[in-house]
Amino acid sequence: MTDTTDTSGPTDTAVLCARGVHKHYGTGAGLVRAVDGVDLDVRRGETVAVMGPSGCGKSTLLHLLGALDRPSRGEVWLAGRRIDALGETALAQLRRTDVGFVFQAFHLMEELTAVENVELPALLAGRSPRAARRRSEELLDQVGLADRGPFLPAALSGGQRQRVAVARALSNEPAVVLADEPTGNLDSAATVEVLRLFDDLHRAGQTLVVVTHDERIAATADRLISMRDGSFVDEIGLTGGTRRDLGALVGLEG
Amino acid sequence: MGRVLLVGRLAWRDLRRRRLEAALLLLATVAATTTLTLGLVLSDAASDPYEHTREATNGPDVVAMVSAHPRERPDHPEGAGAGPAGPVDIVVDEPADRAALDELAEEPEVIDHSGPFPAVAAEMQAGDLTSDVQAVGRDTAPAAVDQPQVVRGDWVADGGVVVEASFADALGVGVGDPVTLAGRSFDVVGIAVSAAAPPYPKSLCFAPMGCASGGTPEEVAGLPAGMLRDPGLVWLTTPDVQRLATDPLSLSYVMNIELTDPAGAAAFVEAHGVMSPEAPILATWDEIRVETTELAREARTILLAGAWLLGLLAVATVSVLVGSRMADQTRRVGLLKAVGGTPRLVAAVLLAEYLLVALAAAVVGLVVGSLTAPLLTDSGPGLLGSAGTPSITVPTAAIVVAVALAVAGVGTFVPAVRAARITTVDALADTARAPRRTGWLIAVSARLPVPLLLALRIAARRPRRAVLTMVSLAITISGLYVALVLATFLDDTATLAGGIEDARTEQLNQVLLVVVVIVLTMAAVNAIFVTWATVLDNRHASALARALGATPRQVSTAVASAQVLPAFAGALIGAFPGGFALFHAINAITGGDSDRVSLPPIWQLLALVAATVLVVVSLTAVPARLGGRRSVTAALQAEMA
Amino acid sequence: MRQEVVLAMLAKEPSHGYELRRRLRQALGPVGEGMNAGQVYVSLTRLEKADLVRSARSETPGDRPERKVYALTPGGQQRVTEWLTEVSWPKPDLAEFHLKLVAAAAAGLADPVTLVDMQRRELLRRLRDGQRAAMTEADGSDAALLLEGIVLRLQADIRWLESCEQSWTGRRSGS
Repeated sequence: MTDTTDTSGPTDTAVLCARGVHKHYGTGAGLVRAVDGVDLDVRRGETVAVMGPSGCGKSTLLHLLGALDRPSRGEVWLAGRRIDALGETALAQLRRTDVGFVFQAFHLMEELTAVENVELPALLAGRSPRAARRRSEELLDQVGLADRGPFLPAALSGGQRQRVAVARALSNEPAVVLADEPTGNLDSAATVEVLRLFDDLHRAGQTLVVVTHDERIAATADRLISMRDGSFVDEIGLTGGTRRDLGALVGLEG
Repeated sequence: MGRVLLVGRLAWRDLRRRRLEAALLLLATVAATTTLTLGLVLSDAASDPYEHTREATNGPDVVAMVSAHPRERPDHPEGAGAGPAGPVDIVVDEPADRAALDELAEEPEVIDHSGPFPAVAAEMQAGDLTSDVQAVGRDTAPAAVDQPQVVRGDWVADGGVVVEASFADALGVGVGDPVTLAGRSFDVVGIAVSAAAPPYPKSLCFAPMGCASGGTPEEVAGLPAGMLRDPGLVWLTTPDVQRLATDPLSLSYVMNIELTDPAGAAAFVEAHGVMSPEAPILATWDEIRVETTELAREARTILLAGAWLLGLLAVATVSVLVGSRMADQTRRVGLLKAVGGTPRLVAAVLLAEYLLVALAAAVVGLVVGSLTAPLLTDSGPGLLGSAGTPSITVPTAAIVVAVALAVAGVGTFVPAVRAARITTVDALADTARAPRRTGWLIAVSARLPVPLLLALRIAARRPRRAVLTMVSLAITISGLYVALVLATFLDDTATLAGGIEDARTEQLNQVLLVVVVIVLTMAAVNAIFVTWATVLDNRHASALARALGATPRQVSTAVASAQVLPAFAGALIGAFPGGFALFHAINAITGGDSDRVSLPPIWQLLALVAATVLVVVSLTAVPARLGGRRSVTAALQAEMA
Repeated sequence: MRQEVVLAMLAKEPSHGYELRRRLRQALGPVGEGMNAGQVYVSLTRLEKADLVRSARSETPGDRPERKVYALTPGGQQRVTEWLTEVSWPKPDLAEFHLKLVAAAAAGLADPVTLVDMQRRELLRRLRDGQRAAMTEADGSDAALLLEGIVLRLQADIRWLESCEQSWTGRRSGS
């Protein structure tokens, strides 16, 4: 039960496109099919969530989509360019411009302050230090951490750290933001912080692909894809909700 | 007792787990201990041949010499640069006091003597080479004290000359070759060795005008006229010597004395050595031995200086090793504390590992050093037999062990204490090694191109390591500076009188080369290892940088540069102030004469620095490159564990 | 417990009252131990009145309800079908949904996995609504607090549905 877009190349509005993507490790008896034939189209401005049990390959898929790794087979198109056959150098350049990654473990540099962490992708892309710093401060403001700029990650809460990581992912105005279990290490309140942020991003038109365990994050998506054993098994469209009969949810007769 | 065993066992197990590092540690310390051992035992090794020769030739306990007193000569009209006048053309004021020698022979401590033998200074020509010689007249019958051992050919005969073995080797003469002495022809009838005088180019001087040995060309040019330069020793029959002397009054006399107690030689000289121009000059066998083994002592200086440098380098290596493994150690410390270990126990376990390695290194160094010492002290043809394997005395062993322990101790002391003091909770949580933050460096690096940006930040995370790299390179380059100075000096003084090559400089050059090679090898091993440690330390940061858009080449360049920059700074320090300071320090300690040497020119130093940078770049490129090849996702996930 | 549960339990085949009780107890396990014994019979009577089930006398004489044999009327059948496809989520009483699945599987009326999927979608949509609503309220307000409770419970329920799906999928492939 997968999406019924055309099975040829990417469409005009597809920011991210995967066709028959496979990722294998090992050989023979030790062969592991982490991703086993996945087709996916993500349109501009869409939020897509991928859910599934541990080991189902969703993180691997995300790495393939985000130019962090290369597929064993299949094609991946990002912002209209085919990326599965690119060399490491070209992929690195891609990561600067078209992709922003958010990790479960935040992966902030411990010895850099929040604002220094956020400006790093811009510096790596060759922007001037002043421009990078300015953009960094803007982004921190956007995620609601304007006053936390000079703080080290150790002095920030989990939710704040992840928000800094999101700001970092937005640094070079990527075509798509990929998030791998963004709330995996967060408690309930911090999860809500990140939820709000994703919601804001969604409303601002940012394309977002999220891999998650958390139903709350998944529920913010336009489409929710279930993955098991390396392939997609289900898809739910969640758009078009209104503020329905909330009372009935708690037994208020209505 | 149980605790000591426990400490030992924990230490041993951990070493076995981390074999590569233990091996590296061992290697670094062994380099220092071996060189140190060599330095300490070399002169002992070199003494053997002299002892052997003394026995075989029944060498004298004291040599007594008298010479004629020359009249003061006016300055040579052509000036000092024209070279000395012929040695036989001197004007005698007072003849040698032969009677004084006979009196000495009557002393109660003297049980036997040979001589007095006449001796004359002359110029000898053999083929293209010319040299000053001291010719001693001997009987054909063997003497009771000091009968030189003939190694080729026969003993003296009329018309024949027996040449001292080292001298013969330097001149390149063999039995049967014709030579000219003071214009007369002779044939070489034999080659012999003796313990009564040090081998060529050293000598016991019994010429009236005195002798000079060695010296740079400038010094040689300034010698007074008539002085012998690097005289060789030859033996003729007594009549032949008397014929050689144009003026019989200019003859010198030499007598070899055997005492009842050889150990009393110094006291004998004290009692009878009178400081007046006519009195006999006395030399003990020990003084001769010291002259003979001078080469070994010079080599020893080089080796000891080298051992110091290697010791310092080893400390730097140990520090880096210990520092990079501290994260691992911290967790162990936490576990030990959690099960009840006191801070003292914990520090003991940490130190024990390194001390074990240091002890092993001391043992290896002692064994290897004493076995290879004979190879470095070739006594040459002038003595019988070759250097033997010296025995390790307790003081030597104690020094080497102490140095090895010091190296291990200094390198590990600070981290061990710090680790021992850390609270258990922190240790288990492994927060001990959070990278350092240097705010201004981070700000500065933002302005640089990407590889330098990353390089500077990598270096800033572990400033101690960058400093250690710089210090290691400074030490190495300082050492090379001094080696350069020494090599130049040896070259300058390699040629003796008459254009003869001094075989000893060859040997010293060899020793110098050995030390330089060891130092360079250790520095290279250090560079590779530190780069690898940096790569490992920065796996996460590198992977993250790549995930954020840095190319693999940028990352590997950064990791290599993080090494190269401190290395460059260290090389500069070593080449300019460092080497100069080291040289003067060594001079001050060994009492050498720094005016005699010329310091390396600027271009040589710059070339040295440039070469160093190139070498470091190539050495660090490989580990840096290998580190950059890993998959980004694997590295990031590994760090999440 | 809703009457539709009892109806559904009859979908497979007509049964005695005590038979129904036994099957319910078995399906509920310890959760059902506190169940009132007469509850089932009360429901049966009401259902009969509503003409959703009819009862037939058993062979043995005596009018006791437990001895009667109950069967679905066509009206009852239709009601069961409607109920199966209902996705309204009841008050926090999972027993009803659980029994829905058991009954559906036993009677072969519907694939339990499909039922779970449908319910899950619905709950996800509700979660989304609840979340949206929560985010428009001010932080820390009463409304926000209530909505957070709704959201968290929905999340828990969705997790349980995922377990249901796994379990019923396993049973299906195993049987």
